Amino acid sequence: MNFDFSADQKELADHARRFLGESCTFDRLRDNMAGEEAYDRSLWQQMVELGWTAINIPEAQGGLGMGSLELCLLSEEVGRVLAPVPFFSTVCLGAHILNQLGQESLREQYLPPIAAGESVVAVALMPGLGQLEYADGCASGALGPVAWLGAADLLISRARDNHGTECLVLIDAKHATVARRNIDGVVLDGLVRHGQAEFSATPARLLASGDEARRLIELALAQAAILTAFEQLGGAQACCEMARDYSLERYTFGRVIGGYQAIKHKLADVQVEIELARSNAYYGAWALATDAAELARAAALARISATEAFTLAAEENLQVHGGIGYTWEANCHFYYQRARLLAINYGNADYWSQQLLAGLQAAH
Amino acid sequence: MDFNDSAEEAAFRAEVRAWLQQNASDYTEPLALRQGDPRIAEMGRSWQKQKAKGGFAAISWPVEAGGRGASPIEEVIFAEEEGRYHVPVGPFVGIGINLAVPTIRAHGTPEQIEKFARPTLLGEILWCQLFSEPGAGSDLAAVRTRATRDGDDWLVNGQKVWTSWAHTADWGIMLARTDPEQAKHKGLSFFLVDMRSAGIDVRPIRSISGESEFNEVFLTDVRIPDSQRLGAVGDGWKVAMTTLMNERASAADQSQSLPDVESLLAALGEQGRAANTRQLASLYAREQGLKYFGLRQLTRLSQGGNPDPISVMSKLVYANLLQDVSALGLDALGLPGAFAGRENHEAKKFQYGYQWSAALRIAGGADEILRNQIAERVLGLPGEIRSDKGVPFSQLPVGR
Repeated sequence: MNFDFSADQKELADHARRFLGESCTFDRLRDNMAGEEAYDRSLWQQMVELGWTAINIPEAQGGLGMGSLELCLLSEEVGRVLAPVPFFSTVCLGAHILNQLGQESLREQYLPPIAAGESVVAVALMPGLGQLEYADGCASGALGPVAWLGAADLLISRARDNHGTECLVLIDAKHATVARRNIDGVVLDGLVRHGQAEFSATPARLLASGDEARRLIELALAQAAILTAFEQLGGAQACCEMARDYSLERYTFGRVIGGYQAIKHKLADVQVEIELARSNAYYGAWALATDAAELARAAALARISATEAFTLAAEENLQVHGGIGYTWEANCHFYYQRARLLAINYGNADYWSQQLLAGLQAAH
Repeated sequence: MDFNDSAEEAAFRAEVRAWLQQNASDYTEPLALRQGDPRIAEMGRSWQKQKAKGGFAAISWPVEAGGRGASPIEEVIFAEEEGRYHVPVGPFVGIGINLAVPTIRAHGTPEQIEKFARPTLLGEILWCQLFSEPGAGSDLAAVRTRATRDGDDWLVNGQKVWTSWAHTADWGIMLARTDPEQAKHKGLSFFLVDMRSAGIDVRPIRSISGESEFNEVFLTDVRIPDSQRLGAVGDGWKVAMTTLMNERASAADQSQSLPDVESLLAALGEQGRAANTRQLASLYAREQGLKYFGLRQLTRLSQGGNPDPISVMSKLVYANLLQDVSALGLDALGLPGAFAGRENHEAKKFQYGYQWSAALRIAGGADEILRNQIAERVLGLPGEIRSDKGVPFSQLPVGR
């Protein structure tokens, strides 16, 4: 047994942390929200140059051929700085789903542009966010809100064919028959641009249908749960450090607030939740990397724990900051709102709790 | 990252399983004995001897200390397999092997190590821990049990409390005050006490469970030779810290007589599970997170790292989880569960878990003390403001 990442993997994470710490500042997040671009293109380009979009793509398709453990660590670092780029949908999900396809021609066509950073992918897998009907090579219907749908080159979506069978389709999101827009204005988390779109007989490639589609979706949801858990973990740890640092600078009643037990115990509880979440996330990473029989259970555990940890950390970070924490300048809000967005995304706590208990009951 | 047993670990596990099948067949059912029953200690003694004979008594200890020289991971593998049986490990492992012996090995003279470490391993010495006092719990350094020099001996007077197994123990590890004119932490020394010495009076404490897991120990002119002092005079606090570090690391060990989330799921039935899905999933995620947290710490130790200061959280999380799981289980079982007798092992688990968790949240570092430790040692927040700092112990104000 060795329940830790390797030295090489830790070095990759350290490097990613240094790079993102220098390049993805809070001011840059504010600029991004004020700007017209859906995502931070120059940050994305730097990530492409570092090979992050190629990380889980086989060498034969122009990738680096690394596994999900590296992806877990990068997700944590992306979550720590809230990087406004379509990393999760393009690399963690898009490339992952395409990798699983049996047809080599599809992999040959779509993976190299992702590895090269020329193709951004939006992914729509959860029910209840619109519906696509697929028939004779075309898809029609409406979707949204879906992350990066307004800016993506490709869309991978769940759909139903004319027999009502579940299927998975791939669509050129820039096609003339796609009417799409970014959802702007006052939203919960303006850093992850979500879009909506209508499709009228849009050309679509059928990736899988029936049992195979369900298998791919289930696998992609487990992947989404575990990598989101790492993203949440990064956010939670950032909140804890931010609250700790502030509590050592802020004086009330003649001393730093970090010396009061009301603050010490609160932050100790946050750190404990993070350690529990980290432990479950590591278990998820192992299950993902080894395609373990326990993958579904591990995904639910990682996700439930990480949602609890990030929620607590983001709420208490703002609370420790006091009134200033409620301002746009104080940065607490980035995490506070992201914590909720990630709690909702790809199955909320109710969804994963039901999955977990159903799995436990089935095991008996 | 590899979560499975390595080839050597799998071979060790198979060896342990086969040995337990041969040797632990008397312990397939829960013991129908009250907490603190002296028969448990005697069963523990013979089980410890059996383990020593089989070469499993101190798996990760060095060979020269009488151990097996194996890894901490193999230690855990043995505990996992042993945990499938209802063996009475508490009296020996909990105090003697987990607390007394590591402290003696860290601070003792070669003669002390020779006299105490190996016999404990072999099941010959049962220990108790004479630390807490009526006025010294979370503030352990406030002990006022007094040891005064008398020729080559020390004379000890005072009172200890919360002493598990004092009524059956052969020896005790004791923290006592040797110089009240020094500041609180500086005037302490650490002793090994023969529990059969004249002047020791052990009285059981009836706890909230109605049983007697603990005792109070009165010491009146108890004579202790100076050769039974562990560490230098005045170094008692430093020595006790070794004990406490070990206590916090092991206090989250789980037992077959306490409920886990799986037993809660069974107790709730289908309807109860459906009505509490989110809470149950959250409790299960905590339980599993704690298990994997332990494995992360174990990986760290097996790679030669020091214990992580965050590791004290295990007991904090476990005690609170046990309380939550037990309360929910009792709610589910209703009055039939609350009034179930000893023959109903399942219901009894929840009753005892509800009672014992209240003790566990206080024992071996109360929740509040552990939160302070995490805040200070992990997050680097300031220590508490101390009005007793640098003040001679004899000058400190006392309440009740």
